[in-house]
Amino acid sequence: MKKLIEITLGILTAIGGFVDIGDLVANAESGARFKMALAWVVVVGVIGICLFAEMAGRVAAVSQRPVFSLVRERLGAKVALANLGASFFINFLTLAAEIAGVALALELASSVNYLLWIPLVAFAVWLVIWRVRFSTMEKVFGLLGLCLLVFAVALWRFGPDWGALLSNAAHPTVPSGEGHPTYFYFAIALFGAAMTPYEVFFFSSGAIEEKWTKKDLVVERMNVYIGFPLGGLLSLALMALCSVILAPRGITVSTLSQATLPTVVVMGKLGLAVLLVGIFAATFGAALETGFSAGYTVAQYLGWQWGKFVRPKEAPRFHLVVLVSIIMGAFLVLTTIDPIKVTEYSIVLAAAALPLTYFPILVVANDPSYMGEHVNGRVTNALASIYLGILLIVSVATIPLMILTKAGS
Amino acid sequence: MAGQKMDAGLDILDVQIVDKDGRMSGVVDDLDFSWDEETGAPYVSSILSGPEALGTRLGGRIGLWMASVHARLHDREDPGPAKISIGVVKKISNHVEITVSREDLDISRSPDWARDTIISKIPGADRAVE
Amino acid sequence: MRLSDLLHSEVYDQDGVSVGHVHDVRLVRDGPVIGSFGATFSIDGLIVGKGSFGSRLGFDRAAMKGPWVLKALFNRLHASSRFVPWDFVAAVEERKILISRAAKELHEPKALDLNGREEA
Repeated sequence: MKKLIEITLGILTAIGGFVDIGDLVANAESGARFKMALAWVVVVGVIGICLFAEMAGRVAAVSQRPVFSLVRERLGAKVALANLGASFFINFLTLAAEIAGVALALELASSVNYLLWIPLVAFAVWLVIWRVRFSTMEKVFGLLGLCLLVFAVALWRFGPDWGALLSNAAHPTVPSGEGHPTYFYFAIALFGAAMTPYEVFFFSSGAIEEKWTKKDLVVERMNVYIGFPLGGLLSLALMALCSVILAPRGITVSTLSQATLPTVVVMGKLGLAVLLVGIFAATFGAALETGFSAGYTVAQYLGWQWGKFVRPKEAPRFHLVVLVSIIMGAFLVLTTIDPIKVTEYSIVLAAAALPLTYFPILVVANDPSYMGEHVNGRVTNALASIYLGILLIVSVATIPLMILTKAGS
Repeated sequence: MAGQKMDAGLDILDVQIVDKDGRMSGVVDDLDFSWDEETGAPYVSSILSGPEALGTRLGGRIGLWMASVHARLHDREDPGPAKISIGVVKKISNHVEITVSREDLDISRSPDWARDTIISKIPGADRAVE
Repeated sequence: MRLSDLLHSEVYDQDGVSVGHVHDVRLVRDGPVIGSFGATFSIDGLIVGKGSFGSRLGFDRAAMKGPWVLKALFNRLHASSRFVPWDFVAAVEERKILISRAAKELHEPKALDLNGREEA
């Protein structure tokens, strides 16, 4: 049981990364429009994030260097500053959207307009970062997020033709009425969501917050190999659920409440209640992840003290960056801008910036002056080299596809 | 130790500095060389850290802005970059470890605005959660 | 003089031919004794090359083995790198360094091992 509790960092990171507000809608939408034709992207994404999160966590445990320090050390001050600008901006957009996402979940539960919830949610996110222990936070939001397993339960209760689902996933075809560019745009959005960089910022810094060392490498790997596949499983379950319930009826998804529809159809009110707890935990978790990451990235680039393992007074600039980001994020979504559109754009923009974050991780994970005997093995390197190629292609293809498809519409 | 070699850009530039109590105290933004009077060879005399050093290195509009932030934080007209003498360096590895406390460093010579004006006024700023 | 005054400067040989840009500065621990650090580092020489990623990544460390695709790529990129012993440096100007030898007299830089020794 103790070992099981130690993997909550991985679970929180993955749930906040895979099934946050934008992904809930993106997964549901791709299921409703493309059935299981995009399932392979989630699998490719899960393998990719497992590879690089494992490296980032191992580097953190062995050398005590978090990801954005590596970015600065290996890319130099200038290129790292460009990466900081892009990563911070994307992360900020996601933070704002997640604050709205928590508020939307509360609206579904209470029928009180989400705009009224935003200030309260923003305050709660800040308060958790300010006052709650890192390990307590992981456990509460990581484990509550597991309520999203209701997607899998609903799918099982519905009793779909599993053979047809599997064969649809294994032989992806673009449905008539959808163009190839739109299909690939969705593929990039799902891939970007799986590999969104705030996951490695948070996971590697969290490893240092948790004071992991070489001795914890087994726990580190368990976190990665259980947490991220679990996140991927939740994405796939939602996608499948929408493909068997919404797609045949021609219903498409553009809001959070539409994404909850299939679960309600199968599981009724109780299912909805469990689902709302799960969505609340996942979006709140993602807000924490991005709130922390705002502080981590800036502080690590500039060498400021960061982290919850010291008194806030000892890390004042870190806490100031977090505080200001949350306040600005809340103001951004109070303008009634559509938070789901905001995350969809931020995920796709993130895809364009991915190589700048993952390349330095790969370099340092191979450098014996940091890692000693814990450098990457051959299999990891072979896979990571292939993924680096994929990341480069994705980053080049992203912006043109976004313009060509008018962002998938 | 004597005769040991390293590549400055690869092994020390942009590396995290950690003080005697293990607290993060900036990044190696640049190195400063002095000239040996006998041999005429340049040697590393100090580490430069902080907005002046980083701004100068980055150049351009962002660099100028950083340097101006640095100047505004100081009373003196031309405060120069914050320096850490190589003499207080204990070890250069994944971190640069120094033998003094970060409060005694040049980078701490201006008051910490974020701490004094905002963070220390919020209840709980002085308590660690663990 | 700062490290950043040297990095990325263009290096010209005695005939005014460009040798490339400064990719890194090799230091050796044989300088004057300063404080508790002991003997400080002085400049051993410049690592100069053509075409660069902007900063060095460590693939020319002797002990860094993989991934082989990147190792091969950067070995190729750095095959034309040259080491300029500091004694050869005649003048350091704004973003420009002049040396007192011909480019063809220069050799490839030696890789360092994890203890900071040059490989034979």
